Amino acid sequence: MSLDFDRKDCFVVDGKLALPYTYFAGRMGSKFITTLRDEKKIMGVKCPVCNKVYVPPRQTCEIDMTDIRENWVELRNTGEVTNFTVIRYDDKHLPRKAPFILALVKLDGADSPFAHILEGIVPEEVTLGMRVEAVFAKATTSTILDIDHFEPARVSKVQVSEPAPRAQEHAAVPKSKEELDQDERRKAMSKKIIITAALAGAATMKNQNPAVPYSPQEFADDAYKCWKAGAAMVHVHAREDSGMATHDHGRIKDTHDAIREKCPDLIVNMSSAVGMGKTAEQRISQIIHVKPEMASLNTNTMNFSLVDRKSGKVFIDFVFENTFTMLQDFGKAMEEAGVKPEMELYDMGGLDNWALIAKQGFFTRPFNFNFVWGVAGGQAFRPDAFMTMKHALPEGANFTTCGVGTDQFPAITMSSLAGGHMRVGLEDNIRIPTGELAKGSYEQVEWAVKIAQIAGREVATPDEARAIMGLRKR
Amino acid sequence: MAHRKKNRNVGIIGIGQTKYSSHREDVNQPEMIHEAVIAALKDAGLTMKDVDCIVHGNMELFEMVHQPDLWHTLGTGAYGKDCIRITTGGTVGATVACAADNLVASGMYDIVMAIGFEKLQEGHTTGGITNMADPLWFRHLQTGALTGTKAYDVIKEFGEERAKRASLMYRIIMDKHAGLNPNAHRAFGLEFEQIDDLIKTSPRLVGDLKLIEMCSQSDGACCVIFACEKKAKELSKKPVWVRDHITVHREEVFVMFGYDDRNPFPATHRFAAEQLYTRNGVTSPVDYFDVFEMYDPASWWAVDWLRDFFMLKGDEHLKLVENKEIMIGGKIPVNPSGGVIGSNPIGATALVRVAEAALQVRGDAGAHQIPTPVNHALASGFGGTMWTVLMMLEKELNWQEAHNG
Ligand SMILES: [Zn+2]
Repeated sequence: MSLDFDRKDCFVVDGKLALPYTYFAGRMGSKFITTLRDEKKIMGVKCPVCNKVYVPPRQTCEIDMTDIRENWVELRNTGEVTNFTVIRYDDKHLPRKAPFILALVKLDGADSPFAHILEGIVPEEVTLGMRVEAVFAKATTSTILDIDHFEPARVSKVQVSEPAPRAQEHAAVPKSKEELDQDERRKAMSKKIIITAALAGAATMKNQNPAVPYSPQEFADDAYKCWKAGAAMVHVHAREDSGMATHDHGRIKDTHDAIREKCPDLIVNMSSAVGMGKTAEQRISQIIHVKPEMASLNTNTMNFSLVDRKSGKVFIDFVFENTFTMLQDFGKAMEEAGVKPEMELYDMGGLDNWALIAKQGFFTRPFNFNFVWGVAGGQAFRPDAFMTMKHALPEGANFTTCGVGTDQFPAITMSSLAGGHMRVGLEDNIRIPTGELAKGSYEQVEWAVKIAQIAGREVATPDEARAIMGLRKR
Repeated sequence: MAHRKKNRNVGIIGIGQTKYSSHREDVNQPEMIHEAVIAALKDAGLTMKDVDCIVHGNMELFEMVHQPDLWHTLGTGAYGKDCIRITTGGTVGATVACAADNLVASGMYDIVMAIGFEKLQEGHTTGGITNMADPLWFRHLQTGALTGTKAYDVIKEFGEERAKRASLMYRIIMDKHAGLNPNAHRAFGLEFEQIDDLIKTSPRLVGDLKLIEMCSQSDGACCVIFACEKKAKELSKKPVWVRDHITVHREEVFVMFGYDDRNPFPATHRFAAEQLYTRNGVTSPVDYFDVFEMYDPASWWAVDWLRDFFMLKGDEHLKLVENKEIMIGGKIPVNPSGGVIGSNPIGATALVRVAEAALQVRGDAGAHQIPTPVNHALASGFGGTMWTVLMMLEKELNWQEAHNG
């Protein structure tokens, strides 16, 4: 049939319907939304006759018409995905930029699923039945968006499942010809030097150096300057506005995303140490939530204290706990989430610890290590110790280094000479080699670039750094 | 008009209403509907298990909600049952009643629940009504549901003083009736002595249509349960029988451009009444009916429409009003409930007419029950483009042989 109608001289009326309305939520809806808003609790009602638990709450059980309005139950913030769809177009009325996931989430304890945004996972990885948890919005809108979104549930006890079968990448398996070729290419590339800027750490405060970033925006601005100066990677501990190190997923993700937004090219390496007094679960769950390209993996339990360098007086005594189980669980969780671990070696024992756990075979090549010098509780920088550690690394491993305070520049200079990479930044040291306060981590990056020039090393771009460290090509 | 007798008789066996009011923040839509549903089930002595089908209706988009019948399931009790949504504008409440009657009379279902509701405070009535109009010809010229043409007609025919006094007389009678009905939205306590004062002081809305003469915007729901003769007799001591109903409408009644003697306002009311009475052998409706629940959106309309619905001539309808014959205790009481001027939850409004007429037949209307026996009742529905629905209710099943049960 022909669709070739004659449309000549046909007048078309263009109109628009836009009608205001209010919605009376009723007492049930009112309690649900105000409890969500004021107490960050998700409330449902349970039918005493058929035991069905409704969320959102209803006044009447649809099955048996029982009046259930007084039978409130508090639901958990966790649940499972019963179905989902991926929105692949942008429109004004949509709550997120496409693509994003809308999932039906059945909360633990509820019998009726409800729709919400699912974040922190790519559509390809969403599975029915997957565990998710609610993330509450920072600012209330008195709508269902007071739950900002759902995201994959935190790993309460890191799973000890077998790693995905990526046999050819496993440490224990002999390497293929192709892999050996890759190693050769990496070796060649390794003549280039990767500069990392550790922007803030958990302890350096603005009263020590006002350039220390706290807000996601400050992190992003700082990262941008470092990238401009020559850094290929930034290492991040997110901070609250107060300056306190935080394990809050939202804040960490905001910080990570702000950096990614401002400098999409840059590699973001997140801390799995987070800060003093954080639980194992707090330390790893944020990594799994944010899924940065890389994250630190600490290899030994040690003192990590604040001791006056001149008088030896102890200001703050703290044991930085990194048990074998944590090393194993964190490592597995990272590998499974596609986050490349950077093994932090505070002394030779840390390397030995790692090597023991690595026998399980879940760490993927190439391995990336960071020698950390000068922590009060770890070892001070010594060139011979440095070379001893370098020699003890597994074949083909990459290494970088950082040093606390005055150890910083000597250690990275050593690394540049020994074929390793360099980490600078206000996390480790607030000054430049002249003794003046650094205007920002970027100024230390500028110094690192000079050191690279002296050592005859070319500075790696982020993509070159990815190739060297075995990160997925972007 | 071709019309076949019913396949089987249908009786009203349950009636439930909410209180009508301007705001119901304490309940959402299904919760409000639920109040009427529970009241009707209680009235009928039934549970939802006994109901076979639900007919659900309100004004399209007046609450800015799409497919309300689906998400009202929790309130209507339609879970696992057949549910039909009907929306015919202002007449929808009457149409759900007609549909329920048809569904039972046909034999499709034994017990059908008709539900009409509206929460006018949630939506934008004038916006919704305006969007009903033809986008090319009328939409830019629409004012919503208000019109002053009927006042113009009545004034032109009977003179300004008599017309205006009749309209106010009608209005005050309705207010007195509303005062007796605990479900009514508005009852001001007006007195007949205020007629002259109100004519002068009540603000004009459109032409000579004054604020006091216009209906309210109300929130509320109404539920009426219809059953086949067999079930009605088994389940109810006092079923009210649906004798007949008729629907008449035409679109071009958007007469926006002024009154024209040669092309008068199309009289769908009179046409519907004529058809209905002829086929039921009613020769003098004023004598035949004991009560009339009329969809009266404004007192000007109401006064004029009495002439059409009762097939009156000249100024007989004015005299009914002026002599208070339409008052409770009069010859033919109109709207003992206080009518639409008293309460107007639009999607429920026309069903409320059926419900209130049935309550009068049963003698269960309480304080606004008319004192004389009610054997024959008439209910009307009205909507946008001169839709007319009339439904006749009977106390006794004696106007035709009941072939089956
Ligand atoms: Zn139940």
